[in-house]
Amino acid sequence: MDSISEQSRNSWIRKDNPKHVSERHKDMYEDILDDRRSSSDLRWSTRTREDVPTYRYNTPRTPVDIKKHVLKSKRVQYVLEKLSQESGKSIAELTTEAAVILDEMGHNINMGAIRGFAFFLVKIFKQLYNHIYVNEDGIQKVRNLLKDYPVLLMPSHRSYMDFLLISFVFFHYDLPPPAIAAAMDFMSMNFFGWLLRNSGAFYIRRTFGDNELYWAVFTEYVQTQISNSDRPVEFFPEGTRSRTAKSYCPKFGMLSAAIEVYFKANVSDIKIIPISISYSRILEEQLYAYELLGVPKPKESTYGLFQARGVLFNDYGSIHVHIGEPISVSNYCEGVIDRSCHNLLPRFIGGLSFDEQNLVSQMSIQVVLNQQRHFVINPWSMIAAVLMQNKDGISVKQLVKEVEWLKRQASNLGAYIDWPGHEPAETVIQESLKIHKNLVTVNSMDIVEMRQAERKGSDSLMDTAAHHLMLASYRNQLMHVFVRVALITLPINACTQDTLSLDDLFEKYTFLEKLLSRDFIFLPGNTRQDFEQALLVLTHTCGVAVQDKAVQIKTSTNKYTVFFSHMFEPFLLGYWVLCQHLLSLPSIAHDKPMAKPAKMITKEAQMVVARLLREQLIKHPETLSLDLLNNGLMALCNINALHKEKRDGAVYMAPNTVVLTKVTESIAQHIEVPTMPMASINVDTKTVVVNAKL
Amino acid sequence: MEQEAPTIPKRRQELLKWNGWGYKDSKFIVNKAGQVEFTGERYRLSKQVLPHLKDFMMKTCGISLEHKITAQPEITAADIPPPIKNKEFISNLRRTGISYSDDCQDRLFRAHGHTLHEVFVLREGKFERIPDLVVWPTCHNDVVKIVELACQYNAMLIPFGGGTSVSGALECPTAEQRMIISVDTSLMNKILWIDDQNLTVCAESGIIGQDLERRLAEKGYCTGHEPDSMEFSSLGGWVATRASGMKKNIYGNIEDLLVHVKFVTPKGVLEKNCQVPRISAGPDIHHLILGSEGTLGIVTEATLKIRPLPQCKKYGSVVFPTFEDGVHCLREVAKQRCAPASIRLMDNEQFQFGHALKPESSSIFASFLDGIKKLYITKLKGFDPEKLCVATLLFEGTKEEVAALEKRVYEIASKFRGLPGGADNGERGYMLTFVIAYIRDLAFEYYIVAESFETSVPWDRVIDLCRNVKHRIHQECKEKGVQWPPYTTCRVTQTYDAGACVYFYFAYNYRGVSNPVQTYEEIEGKARDEILSNGGSISHHHGVGKVRKKWLRNTIGDVGVGALKALKAYIDPKNIFGNRNLLIGNL
Repeated sequence: MDSISEQSRNSWIRKDNPKHVSERHKDMYEDILDDRRSSSDLRWSTRTREDVPTYRYNTPRTPVDIKKHVLKSKRVQYVLEKLSQESGKSIAELTTEAAVILDEMGHNINMGAIRGFAFFLVKIFKQLYNHIYVNEDGIQKVRNLLKDYPVLLMPSHRSYMDFLLISFVFFHYDLPPPAIAAAMDFMSMNFFGWLLRNSGAFYIRRTFGDNELYWAVFTEYVQTQISNSDRPVEFFPEGTRSRTAKSYCPKFGMLSAAIEVYFKANVSDIKIIPISISYSRILEEQLYAYELLGVPKPKESTYGLFQARGVLFNDYGSIHVHIGEPISVSNYCEGVIDRSCHNLLPRFIGGLSFDEQNLVSQMSIQVVLNQQRHFVINPWSMIAAVLMQNKDGISVKQLVKEVEWLKRQASNLGAYIDWPGHEPAETVIQESLKIHKNLVTVNSMDIVEMRQAERKGSDSLMDTAAHHLMLASYRNQLMHVFVRVALITLPINACTQDTLSLDDLFEKYTFLEKLLSRDFIFLPGNTRQDFEQALLVLTHTCGVAVQDKAVQIKTSTNKYTVFFSHMFEPFLLGYWVLCQHLLSLPSIAHDKPMAKPAKMITKEAQMVVARLLREQLIKHPETLSLDLLNNGLMALCNINALHKEKRDGAVYMAPNTVVLTKVTESIAQHIEVPTMPMASINVDTKTVVVNAKL
Repeated sequence: MEQEAPTIPKRRQELLKWNGWGYKDSKFIVNKAGQVEFTGERYRLSKQVLPHLKDFMMKTCGISLEHKITAQPEITAADIPPPIKNKEFISNLRRTGISYSDDCQDRLFRAHGHTLHEVFVLREGKFERIPDLVVWPTCHNDVVKIVELACQYNAMLIPFGGGTSVSGALECPTAEQRMIISVDTSLMNKILWIDDQNLTVCAESGIIGQDLERRLAEKGYCTGHEPDSMEFSSLGGWVATRASGMKKNIYGNIEDLLVHVKFVTPKGVLEKNCQVPRISAGPDIHHLILGSEGTLGIVTEATLKIRPLPQCKKYGSVVFPTFEDGVHCLREVAKQRCAPASIRLMDNEQFQFGHALKPESSSIFASFLDGIKKLYITKLKGFDPEKLCVATLLFEGTKEEVAALEKRVYEIASKFRGLPGGADNGERGYMLTFVIAYIRDLAFEYYIVAESFETSVPWDRVIDLCRNVKHRIHQECKEKGVQWPPYTTCRVTQTYDAGACVYFYFAYNYRGVSNPVQTYEEIEGKARDEILSNGGSISHHHGVGKVRKKWLRNTIGDVGVGALKALKAYIDPKNIFGNRNLLIGNL
């Protein structure tokens, strides 16, 4: 049988049964673990790295040279002198302080450590993951750019693994090991701290506020490495690992410091490479869930990491590393930035202009959006999204149907979905369920349901919520795809009239965008464009009908609009409870509500949520997430529903009742909300007292 | 003073190329043997074969001898727009006896300077607008009469000196409806007097550099003002563009040399009533004239400082392992204020170019590299031929002064890893700058477009600027689809206390590029953006003209532009000097 079909084949085709083709290449991706499974890791890690690209204007330096340069630099010298005059300390004394900062910060790259590191890593990776896929064309681009430009690598940040991954990929492809900006908390992890430092990581304090000397040393240290482009510089725009698997709003400090080098024309261009790292399963899923609920994060320790890896024999699926399209800083600035504004001051004095600061924040957001564009959506994300809307379980058959439907929608919205073409959908879904068997089970009736949470703490609600949050984190990986269309379907779904004019719709869209702007990423100034694009998708593929500049509500309310809206309901619900809580805050004199620290407000709101969940007045345990509540708080602040004040360095917030009431009403227009019981909270005893009978 | 005829005749096209640089008899050709040769007998390189040049051009720009493009043989009268005639002006002009012409070749010659764009039009296109009349005043009073007539009969005037402008300053605004008169000052070439007590010379503005220096030398003096164009450029042009000379370290730039100037404007003659070394009389009116680029009036006479001819003149050179070392050395020399008459630092690309100009066999020109090898072969080990660069030096003064200065400069150089590279090599560096204008005409024939541009920049940004600008050009060429890597090179060509002047050459092979000049201009525009972003200026000495107008407002600010416009409105309300250079002509 086989031999007959063999004969009849075109002789050019060697293998046409997809089952016989290895999984080494997939679309544009190549599995870099593939070779490692069949040849010596030791030989690989000690091999001669050939043709490693170097920057054409690079002057070779050792880490010690770099430190020397930083201490001698005009910027640091200038600050030393200034501080000496202000504080009366001697220059020598301050220089020692600077040297201490520098030693704490500086990397100490050496090839031996990197090889050891690579050898060690590949063993772990092979154990944990089936494949590590990398888009080769991206690597080729980076290889060429490294010769001509300083390069900034800006990966997404979902896991500790991110730190190791890019270096590993670069080692694999004979690219120079990047200099990675790592937070100081990492440094205290004994072995890893040391290993990372020797593989090119440098450590930055999380906050250094107005410590001028630290700023100067940090800025110079980063900038000299970019100017001379000793190696590509890597940092995470989100600043920290995203515990929710959604993109965090980017931080700007590091990028500002980095591209000041361009603004002040030490270089003529810098290329920024957004990198999207997608995990089938995140190592820290459980840690994150508890963290989001407020269980304090354990101090990063080697032991902790090993513990996180305690589940070494679990299956963590695959990783996709997508090296994004390079962004040229000079092109990005064309016509917007006049760098000659720095001509009137020596370059070691003075910061960025207003326009430049704006551009940096815009650009950070753009980088994150570019990352999002190239996240690889795992089938599990879609399963999670469907399960989140069927919390009581769903039959496998129905699940397959729903997931296939959702897959089509995601793909229409431009998402790249990792879906093996030759497998039946059910197989793909069963595989996923297997990997995530800690979260879901298939019972004897072929019903997929969430696994009962193991009791970990005293509070079973929290344990259940943790489970939900884990599942939510996978659904979250899909949210950026749908957020813009959902902001349109939410008002459509909630509309009680026959038609909704596009102007009104846009107004509501704008409101929702502002409200959700801490939980989701939007490019400032792009609202109209986003709106129009999303509306176009909805009218073209999702049955939304627009006539005479108005949405026809009846025809437009359908499966699509309902599903998309429901995806985002928990967020709005969480915000709404937060608003209710803020409105119920007791007022002090003259009807002025009392100001409270932000952290206290979210914590209290979480208690209200818990209460409502227990009373089964609301049904989304994920609203217990402090991250969600805190994002809500920030967003309310941004739209002036709260005002902020600083007291002794701590941020206090108080509601702006008029605006807040309006916002609360607006939110309630979009989702179903429960009748709110009158509740008061006793913070000391951590109890919520419900005054009215429910 | 006895007078003599100007070196450049009234009918310039009889001596000078009509569509290229310099004398008709002097040009680079590819000879029968397929070697590059320089013709004529005016220059030291004349009649020499340069066996390395062809290979150099092939290697750096990807030229091939098979791909050649020839320029149009001529622009005939049919292709030249007919002159607009202001009859009253002409008839009144005739009465003054001032010589004039509306011959189309005379007019064409004065329609352009030497930017790439202009020369390319000469070679392959035609001008939309050229002067309608050429007049040749012979003295200050002639100019006064011409300006009066122009005001009276509303004609437009464009002053014309040596025609070596590289800023588009001579191009006629295409929208100009009035008769355009090119005021050619070349017959105003007299040295009026020499004052050996105050050491000054007064000359008419049309005298060209080589004539001025030659005739002063006969009396034992010099002005020492030697811009690279000095064979053709005029005294009036220097003043009007704020020219700079190679030996400014000793003699100063034109603004330092200028003691007095007569300037004919529509409002009358602008001048000071004294010839003093310095004055405090409010803002210096000389600085309204210097750099006015023909927008306010015509320079007719100028008094410059002169110096006794130096007893001794000596070339030298220093080789540095890297460009950065060289810049640091020049900075130190400037800091110690011991710069010789000229000190220039060529980057590696320009050093290679110089090497390619080595003649076949010559006792005068020993090979650059050979010379170095002979002297320093051992020491030079470790110098990367792809990285090293060379500073060329010119010392002037008494023998003792020169010897002492030489010692000092070489000592400083040694601190920056610089090694003396011999006199021949220095001399070759200076020759290159004179010769390079001629080479462009040869390059044109092989699909190469080339141009130079310059800037001034503070010391702390020199290295970054040089690197970034060259890099930017390479990247822009890539983006614009230029098929071969461009040739870019720079030199730090002047040093000052607070900064330096940097000079760039940029050439590229335009085979496969449909609009080479426009592409060139776009790329040069990006390069200028990069320069300004790097702390550099709009121009050190070429001026603004028309091609750099778009950067002027940013450079001097709204108030600056407004003040210039107000000045223009007072001095020239009818826009008689309507060449639209700078930003002050657009009233």
